[in-house]
Amino acid sequence: MDPAAQLPLLLGLAWLTPLASFVAILFFGPRMGSHGRNAAWVATAAIVTSLVLSLTAFVVWLGAHPVTAPAHGHGDSHGEAHAADHAAAAADGEHAAFRQVALRAGDAAALPGADGHGDSDHNAEAHGEPHLPAAYAGDWYTLYEGGRLKLSIGWYIDALTVLMFVVVTFIATCIHVYASGYMHDELHDVTDHEVTLADGHHLHRPGRFPRFFQALSLFCFSMLGIVIAGNLAMVFIFWELVGICSWFLIGFYYERKSASTAANKAFIVNRVGDFGMLIGLMALWGALGTLSFADSTAVGPDGHETVTPGLFSLFRPAETGHALQVPDGMVTAAAASEVATIAADHAATPADSASEIAARVPGWREAGLGRWLLVIAGLGIFCGCVGKSAQFPLFVWLPDAMEGPTPVSALVHSATMVAAGVYLVGRFFPVLSPDVLLVIAYAGAITLFIAATIALVANDIKRVLAYSTVSQLGYMMLALGVGGWVAGLFHLVTHAFFKSLLFLCSGSVIHACHTNDMRKMGGLIKVMPWTGYTMLVGCLAIIGAGIPFVIGFSGYYSKDSILAQALSFSQANPSHTILYWAVAGGAFITAFYMFRLWFMTFMGTPRDHHVAEHAHESPNVMVTPLVVLAVLAVAAGWALPGGLGVANLLEQARPAGTAEGMTGGFAFGQRLVFPAEHESHVGAVHVTATTTAFATALAGVVLAAAMYLWRLISPAGVATVFRPVYAFLAGRWYFDELYDVLFVKPTLGIARLASGIDRGLIDKLIDGLAWTARRLAGLDAWIDKTVVDGLVNATANATWNAGLKMRAVQTGRLRQYVMFIVVGTVALFVLASLAFRSSVAG
Amino acid sequence: MDLGSLVSGTINDTVRVSLPLFRVELVIAVSVVLVLLARMLPVLRWLDSGLVALGGACFATWYGWADLQTVQQTVPQAGGFREELFGGLLVFDSLTATIRLLLAAFLALYIVFTKVSGIPDREDGADFYVLVLGATLGMCLMASANHLLMVFMAVEMASVPSYALAGFLKGRKAASEAALKYAVYGAGAAGIMLYGISLLAGVLGTCHLPSMAAEMGRIVGEGKASGEIMVLSLGGLMLAVGLAFKLSAVPFHFWCPDVFEGAAAEIGAFLSVASKAAAVALAVRLVFGLGTVADGAAAGAVAAGLADVRHFMVYVVGLMAVATCTLGNLAAYGQTNMKRLLAYSTVAHAGYLMMGVAAAGALAGVDAAGAQRAVAALAFYLGTYLFMNLAAFAIVAVLRNRLRSEEIASYAGLVRTNPGIVVATTVVLVSLIGLPPLAGFVAKFLIFSSLVKAIASTAESPLMLVILIVGGINTVISLFYYLRVLKVMTFDSLPEDRVAEPAGAFSLAGGLVAALAVPVVLFGILWSGLYGFAQLAGSFAS
Repeated sequence: MDPAAQLPLLLGLAWLTPLASFVAILFFGPRMGSHGRNAAWVATAAIVTSLVLSLTAFVVWLGAHPVTAPAHGHGDSHGEAHAADHAAAAADGEHAAFRQVALRAGDAAALPGADGHGDSDHNAEAHGEPHLPAAYAGDWYTLYEGGRLKLSIGWYIDALTVLMFVVVTFIATCIHVYASGYMHDELHDVTDHEVTLADGHHLHRPGRFPRFFQALSLFCFSMLGIVIAGNLAMVFIFWELVGICSWFLIGFYYERKSASTAANKAFIVNRVGDFGMLIGLMALWGALGTLSFADSTAVGPDGHETVTPGLFSLFRPAETGHALQVPDGMVTAAAASEVATIAADHAATPADSASEIAARVPGWREAGLGRWLLVIAGLGIFCGCVGKSAQFPLFVWLPDAMEGPTPVSALVHSATMVAAGVYLVGRFFPVLSPDVLLVIAYAGAITLFIAATIALVANDIKRVLAYSTVSQLGYMMLALGVGGWVAGLFHLVTHAFFKSLLFLCSGSVIHACHTNDMRKMGGLIKVMPWTGYTMLVGCLAIIGAGIPFVIGFSGYYSKDSILAQALSFSQANPSHTILYWAVAGGAFITAFYMFRLWFMTFMGTPRDHHVAEHAHESPNVMVTPLVVLAVLAVAAGWALPGGLGVANLLEQARPAGTAEGMTGGFAFGQRLVFPAEHESHVGAVHVTATTTAFATALAGVVLAAAMYLWRLISPAGVATVFRPVYAFLAGRWYFDELYDVLFVKPTLGIARLASGIDRGLIDKLIDGLAWTARRLAGLDAWIDKTVVDGLVNATANATWNAGLKMRAVQTGRLRQYVMFIVVGTVALFVLASLAFRSSVAG
Repeated sequence: MDLGSLVSGTINDTVRVSLPLFRVELVIAVSVVLVLLARMLPVLRWLDSGLVALGGACFATWYGWADLQTVQQTVPQAGGFREELFGGLLVFDSLTATIRLLLAAFLALYIVFTKVSGIPDREDGADFYVLVLGATLGMCLMASANHLLMVFMAVEMASVPSYALAGFLKGRKAASEAALKYAVYGAGAAGIMLYGISLLAGVLGTCHLPSMAAEMGRIVGEGKASGEIMVLSLGGLMLAVGLAFKLSAVPFHFWCPDVFEGAAAEIGAFLSVASKAAAVALAVRLVFGLGTVADGAAAGAVAAGLADVRHFMVYVVGLMAVATCTLGNLAAYGQTNMKRLLAYSTVAHAGYLMMGVAAAGALAGVDAAGAQRAVAALAFYLGTYLFMNLAAFAIVAVLRNRLRSEEIASYAGLVRTNPGIVVATTVVLVSLIGLPPLAGFVAKFLIFSSLVKAIASTAESPLMLVILIVGGINTVISLFYYLRVLKVMTFDSLPEDRVAEPAGAFSLAGGLVAALAVPVVLFGILWSGLYGFAQLAGSFAS
């Protein structure tokens, strides 16, 4: 039972099963039952298989790496010691590496001084073996290998990978089941009332049931591909694949202009982010020559093992105790001119130049060479994540993406694909420098605030959830940005459950009401109690409801840890306190708009009787996934006795060297201190955070109840009083308009200009040439017709006549034929004797 | 040397040397006997004569293949593999082996084709296959004849069954007329040929080709006896008449259109492919046999004389080729009957083949490698021509069975009911024109390239240039009448009274046509394999 062999096999199969389903539906979809009814079964069977395999892998993982509750050996007393730590770290001055914040007060003295050695000794003495995450890595298949470039399909499996597999396949399973009910309209011909054709009729088209599941399967395959990827190149491949799946699925009703526009918008906006990501990839590969996460060991022909370091150990080598440093490759790339000089000096002895360069590298690193490359690489990768995870300023596509069918919104655009950006930042976390982390934190903060405020005034039930998704993704980014690795990814997992639940509930509501507009709903709890109460669970989970310090919904745990980490960060860096307030304020707004949604939808009296009359509870096949997800929305944050829980599992995967805090930064001209995450569990911080969270959430719920349940405050009145603000928010901060003016209009303008030049200048020129050519051709045609054709026709006529004459010889009379033999022979003889008299006969 | 040792020597030679290399012909002869036996003995009545014949053909192909392997293994030796059989009556060399294999393979394919197309019926099968087998036997002998007596016998052996075959559709006036014309015409040609042979034999005192060549070289080389030379050239011309009849070369082609039109398409296929292949082989045999002598024995005056002999033959063949090709193509223009059109097409292709023979003759003795390549081009042409023309006639037969007509006009709009057949027809006809990427192009290209070689390096270059130009023009001319058929098939509208039953997705006949058309495409692209065998055929010309 070797997990190193089993895990890649299990997860690899779990990854490929949806691909098999995709291929099967692609080729045989329409033949699977009437209108491809059975495609749903194929896709669901595939994803269930994946789920079972993932769960098996999970069990194998737990067997090999038992999860235990973290030993908080530091006690509360050590909180006070941090000031000293930070002071000591700050006192290090402009150092080469980003210093790790020492864990204990006593270690402060042992921090390396300006001489810059002793790091590894220090770590070994202080903690025994430094924390290394348990991980397995390897390659299945090498696509290309030449020079330094190696592109491979490989795996990097740690606790995070296994956890993500379980989460993705689990939610995907629920959504497959749900969708097989939700999409039943597509089983027969569909009349799309949102598309009016030129003749005034609505579009009538055949159903596309198999196609939906085909795209869903491809998406699952791609998403799992991102999660299992062993290198950044593979991540990028599957990154683009989920992009294209998203495009397929948003544009599922592509006859609707809004849907096709939204699909294109999502795709194009993501391209902007991916452009940055490509720059990041190039910076990494150009400087380091590898994109692989983990070290790879190659056994040479002589049995000698050569270890090629991967990204993680290049950026956080064991020699520095896994502290982040600028890798040699980036240093030498930045010091290219010096390297060239040295190489020229030692042109005869390359070995000497190599050793001299190696000797000079630490000096260059002290001088700060290569730091910019590090920042560019980090920001580049983050750019991709900004696009995919809909962060400011590229968040505009996600709300529009709700044009896709609701199961897609639940799976792709809330739980999994958009979380891929957060996942990648988490995976890439050890490489991110303090400056980049700060950018991430601020991007997350801005995103969460903007999106939350827009959600306040949105009336489309799915759009509220979409902005809520954007906002929650901002939370995760912020958490990662302030050093809360576990907090961010923990929230990713819990959010996946409750947000997919919320979306499926909204889908159920839409399914019943045939409208997205909350203003037409109300009082639905009576007709659809299952949907209503499961959605209540989702709302409670997202606002982080719970009994403080005792127990709570899943969101309670993850949001608390984000809040705590943000608080811890702002205590260490007083100038960035605003980050904490963004989180706290966001929690309040979240609570308000979520309950506004719930109250408007389910409580009160029906506002539109036409809608209310037709409303009904959804079929069991849709309700069952709601209940299952509701259970997880409640329990996903809990830790079992013995410590088995998401947070502790994630702790296992924590990248090497990130358990300790980090300090450093240069781009912003000040020292940044990233407190270690466990410090946020310290009493003072924890209590403050939890209390704040509870208070803000409660305040939000109460305000929502006052406005929408008890009707103490009139929403319309508030809107009137704050008219400019309301209009600003309802206009979604005018981001779409801004981008339209800034990018879309100029682009279209340039396009129009180009097309104008093309039409007015180039076409005219070509038309002129064509006109000339036609005249010439006309002349030519005249010559051709009269002279050439005349000749040809004359020849042809002559040939034809000759042919007919030949036939005339063929009289069919036998006597003549025999005569011809004699005549022919004589003629031949005469001809021969005439022609060859000189040569032969003569 | 007493009689006893002579007899035992002959027996020894016959049994040990000749018979083993004669087994292809023996197998065919045995098949003839078997087919006849099966027809006569009530016990064997259940045997399908077609299957017996097919078995024989397959055996013959197998042996032909094995013989070719023997030749192939010995080719690297100087002069190739050459063995005179039966005291010099026949010769076994690479040309014999290749042409025999070609004929045997064609025979097997042909029998399959007749079984599919349904002519002959079972009752007449035995007669039909005996005639076909007998004619093929004669053709094999044509390819290996080394003695003028054998030449005459082989030509007659190939021709006489053909006369009967031409009239095989009993009760059809056109067929009987065709048979009669063919027989009378053939008799006339045979008479002249025999006269020519006797003239040659009279002057030279031998009918053994290599001996004749040596003697002729001597006489012509000395150049004194102009009377003898006159008689020799007259005799040679008369011999050529017999050959031209078999090749349907102008002006001895008159039988060809009438016979093709009158006889069934199956007969046409046999005459146009097998008969043509054997006749071309015989022409090559005669040109090389009478125009060259074995390695280096010719010197001085004899060599000069032989050069004159070759010059004469090349001019006769070349001029006939030009006339044949041009007339064949021109006369095909106004044809309304597909079989008659194919008859003229056959005449035209005989012209192209004779161009190759002329080139080979011109290169012989001057440029051995060039001559080998010229013969190789001919063999390649025959190999591809086998498939092209067999396919063409198979299409005619299949359409006849379906439409009950062989008129081109009745093919109107066929593309809408039988697209597969039209595609196959397109492939075959375009290949017959000689356009890339089909086999016909490669074949024609090889022939023309040997002509170019002959222009560059032989004394007959003016003639070769004329031939090349005429050949090129003819290719253009031929476009018209082949494409006219395709135009009728595709552009013309379907006649109202079409009785065609819609063809199924796959039929035996369709499969056959496809199987014959596919090599036409294949050899146009992957021709090196076939060309390897063709080169083997050419290797005899040392």
